[in-house]
Amino acid sequence: MATTAERPAAALEQASTAARRRRRRRAARHRQLVALAFMSPWIIGFCAFYVYPMISSLYFSFTKYDILSQPKWVGLANYRFMFTSDPLFWVAIRNTLWIIAIMVPLQVLFGIVTATVLTRIKRGLPFYRTVFFLPTMVPLVAAALGFIYILNPAGPVNRVLGVLHLPEPLWFVDPRWTKPGLTLIGLWGIGQVMIIFLASLLDVPRQLYEAAELEGARPWQQFRYVTLPMISPVIFFSVLIGMIQGFQYFTQAFVVSKAGDRTNEVGYPQDSLLFYTSRLYQQGFEGFHMGYAAAMSWVMFVVIMACTVVLIRSSRRWVHYQGGFR
Amino acid sequence: MSATTAAGAAARARRPVPPEIRRRRLLLSVANHSVAIALSIAFLLPFLFILATSLMTNQQALSPNIWPHPFVWSNYKTVFESFPFVRYTLNTVTYAGLATVGVLLSCVPVAYALSRLQWRGRQAAFILVLSTLMLPPQVTIVPLYVIFVRLGWIGSLKPLIIPLFFGDAFTIFLLRQFFMTIPQELSDAARVDGASELQILLRVIVPLAKPALAAVALFQFLYSWNDFFSPLLYAGNNPDSWTLAVALQQFTTLSRGVLWNLQMAASLLFMLPVIVIFFFAQKVFVEGVTLTGVKG
Amino acid sequence: MRRRLIGLLALALLAAACTAGGGGSDKPAATVDPNANHAPLTLTVWSDFSARELGVVTAGLKMATQKYPWMTIKHVGSKNDQDIQRAVNGGTPPDVAISFTPDNAARYCDTGAWQDLNPYLQSSKVDKAKVWPEGVFSYTSFEGKQCALPMLTDAYGLYYNTDLLKKHGISAPPKTTAELADMAKKLTEYNPDGSIKVAGFMPLVGFYGSTTANTLSHAYGAKWYDENLKPTLTSDPNWTKMFTWQKAMVDAVGYDKLQRFAAKLGGANSEFSAQNGFETGKIAMMMDGEWRNAFIEGDKSKVNYATAPFPVDPDQPGLYGSGQIGGTIGGVPKGVKHPAESWLLLQFMTTDNTYLTTIAHGLKNVPSTFESLKDQQLQNDPRFKPFLDVFANQQSTFKPITPIGQTDTDLMNTFTQKWQAGKVPDLQAGLKQVEDQIAKQLQLG
Repeated sequence: MATTAERPAAALEQASTAARRRRRRRAARHRQLVALAFMSPWIIGFCAFYVYPMISSLYFSFTKYDILSQPKWVGLANYRFMFTSDPLFWVAIRNTLWIIAIMVPLQVLFGIVTATVLTRIKRGLPFYRTVFFLPTMVPLVAAALGFIYILNPAGPVNRVLGVLHLPEPLWFVDPRWTKPGLTLIGLWGIGQVMIIFLASLLDVPRQLYEAAELEGARPWQQFRYVTLPMISPVIFFSVLIGMIQGFQYFTQAFVVSKAGDRTNEVGYPQDSLLFYTSRLYQQGFEGFHMGYAAAMSWVMFVVIMACTVVLIRSSRRWVHYQGGFR
Repeated sequence: MSATTAAGAAARARRPVPPEIRRRRLLLSVANHSVAIALSIAFLLPFLFILATSLMTNQQALSPNIWPHPFVWSNYKTVFESFPFVRYTLNTVTYAGLATVGVLLSCVPVAYALSRLQWRGRQAAFILVLSTLMLPPQVTIVPLYVIFVRLGWIGSLKPLIIPLFFGDAFTIFLLRQFFMTIPQELSDAARVDGASELQILLRVIVPLAKPALAAVALFQFLYSWNDFFSPLLYAGNNPDSWTLAVALQQFTTLSRGVLWNLQMAASLLFMLPVIVIFFFAQKVFVEGVTLTGVKG
Repeated sequence: MRRRLIGLLALALLAAACTAGGGGSDKPAATVDPNANHAPLTLTVWSDFSARELGVVTAGLKMATQKYPWMTIKHVGSKNDQDIQRAVNGGTPPDVAISFTPDNAARYCDTGAWQDLNPYLQSSKVDKAKVWPEGVFSYTSFEGKQCALPMLTDAYGLYYNTDLLKKHGISAPPKTTAELADMAKKLTEYNPDGSIKVAGFMPLVGFYGSTTANTLSHAYGAKWYDENLKPTLTSDPNWTKMFTWQKAMVDAVGYDKLQRFAAKLGGANSEFSAQNGFETGKIAMMMDGEWRNAFIEGDKSKVNYATAPFPVDPDQPGLYGSGQIGGTIGGVPKGVKHPAESWLLLQFMTTDNTYLTTIAHGLKNVPSTFESLKDQQLQNDPRFKPFLDVFANQQSTFKPITPIGQTDTDLMNTFTQKWQAGKVPDLQAGLKQVEDQIAKQLQLG
């Protein structure tokens, strides 16, 4: 218990602590306000261009809406139609899964392969790196148009195949070859992925390779047990981005389908190029079923979120971070 | 290469190399270079085909010939005459340029707040920023379109440019990662000197972040230059507002039946500025791409 | 905190509901006195015309300026239906819209994207039945709303290369599909390596736009829908007959060979270029619209040819002389700034016979009004007359139009592509699937 002599001193202490606390709180509030001021452009943008449209589109997904007239509430009808009655919904899903299960892994693989080739080049690396990276500079529309011409059934690639007595597929006219054709476009633009892998590969400490070699590991074993784990974060990153982009795949498919004949249906030929976003575009911006398009977009969002969570969870098992934490 | 391996390499260099190993290394080098050269040819061939086709007559373009005969250099002139190429280029430069400015102006302070300031809700805000990266644009496209219709912005480039003055998740992410690598001592020293956060940002951080800013600016410029879907949707109605990407695709439909030679010539003209920028700014590009992947 | 969030959410939802919805109001059909003075005004016309055809129509539209000197017309081509619809949705529609796809007219009428012209027709005292033949109303109106009017029209028939026919000893064009199959086999020439050099007939759907399941269906009198707008693809046996015949034609030569031949011709893109297979003598017989006459002339093709109605089902000889009809339509979109002036221009474009006959000559399209049909130049052209006759034939029709626009033909085209490639083992089952798809899409509206 404080004595009378200590009480004024204690009171002074308390007063200065309180003042300090008040000053600290004011300083903290000041800091908070400054931070919020710096964040303000994003906060405004987030509310105006993300939160509000998301709520809006969720609302639209329960309506029948063609912009011209007022939206009509229809409850779950859009969702029910999507899963049970839409003739091309499951076709779109299958095509999109093809991209995610085949094109994305192929791209990641090709990125690793090309990067590995470049790690062994000692002279002229900048030249090769430039050449490999150059195609990613090409706008998607131009790349698609270029490849439509190159993969023309009577075009240069087929001529070369013919000279080598190999079968000449009809590429973008044959529904079995349209997606492989798009994969070729995707592989051509591998440069960006390759650069990331190159940096990562060069980052692998040499001691690990030397240690492995000392233990008698062959080259492919070194690759499997040293290289792969070391670059696994980049693999994870590439697969994640590739998957998200795969769900949204649209431009190349659109340009390729319509280039042969402008009146072709989206997804021509034979719906082989009807991807999820293509179907959404078809229903929303050609058929003007805006409510249905909104419903499709929300389903897509949920699926992407789910797949992302699954991928991240699985990554804990096979991705090895040098730093130790994410 | 780290210090230990550098020493090791120097040590290895001093030892004489037996001829079998030298031959093996030469063969390996040749093999590696051959693969690299083969890949280079594969990557370059499409450009050559496009170039070759752009110099053909339309009849030849449809035929199986690979080599132009004769060389129709005037195709490029025809492209400029057939449609207002200059206006489309101007539109594209306006869009890409203003977008880049907007992104830099808005994302730098936001990234600063997320990386170098302590405040309540910082973690949550960062997660929200990241989440917008994962949001497929299709979800917001219909309502955004309606909003822009009400604002009367459809048919102009405003719907493309103005939102970028309010932040862009990818840029914010990149800049935040980079800002975090700048030592805290520099900021602390400036704070002790009595500088406000704004002053620290402008006088300490920004000068140090020039490579990241350059990378981000280049990425945004390139992205806007190549953007197709948004300009198509928002400005597609009004040919005066077309960007080159939209014009190129629409050019396909200018005459019933594609004129492949002109199409390829127009495509090359479209690619050219970006490729030129790339050659001059290669290092920035590569460093920037590395920034996204490895440090992330 | 949570309550505040819910409150904000509700507010946002409410805001969304309020700001959604369309603009534009319905005004009574005020019209412009054509003879009165008027302030100068520029009207925009959007159409899908391009290249030569665009020039023809633009030149023809100058006549409107001659008649109404205060009117300046800006004609923008290469605008398809989606472009027009997006402009209407965006609140910036053209003053007059022209479309090549009458299939969409039902949707325009249903949604009000194109205004109902009946009030305007009444105010301008235009008697529909006296101006236009009965046939055109089937593809310009829907459920009592007349939201479009024809600006010239089309008819489909057979084009045949007289030189090639003579070369193989054929003197007259085929009248039945069986004869067509026979002659096509005789007329097909092969290269030494087995690939096609000259095709007797191009049965592939998805190559040139004039040969589709829809256009071929008229050869067999196959009906799309019944009176209740239920698809009749399986209940009408003529569809099965038509598809069986079409596939037989494809298999007689070989699907793969035909695809490569099509690619060598330059693919679907060569349809309207000077490399068109018929115009370059690589295809002996072809189904096409009457406009091909103008393209042959305009491309300065050297092909010697004649025209006739398209061959029909041997079991239904009475069908011969009919075919698919219906073509370009025009309308006044919702939300135009000067509806009365838009109507004046549209009225000119659809009823002024001097204008119609002028562009009919330039485009070689079938005139759409009774008056313009009497035009002697077209009547006396032996290559054009068969199409006029097809248009006049009572059995010639356009496909019934529905609020889903071209979705049914799109679904049918995709099916036909699979069918001709041999991917559909059971025709009936396949047709039933298309029927279901169309019925389901009709549900969505």
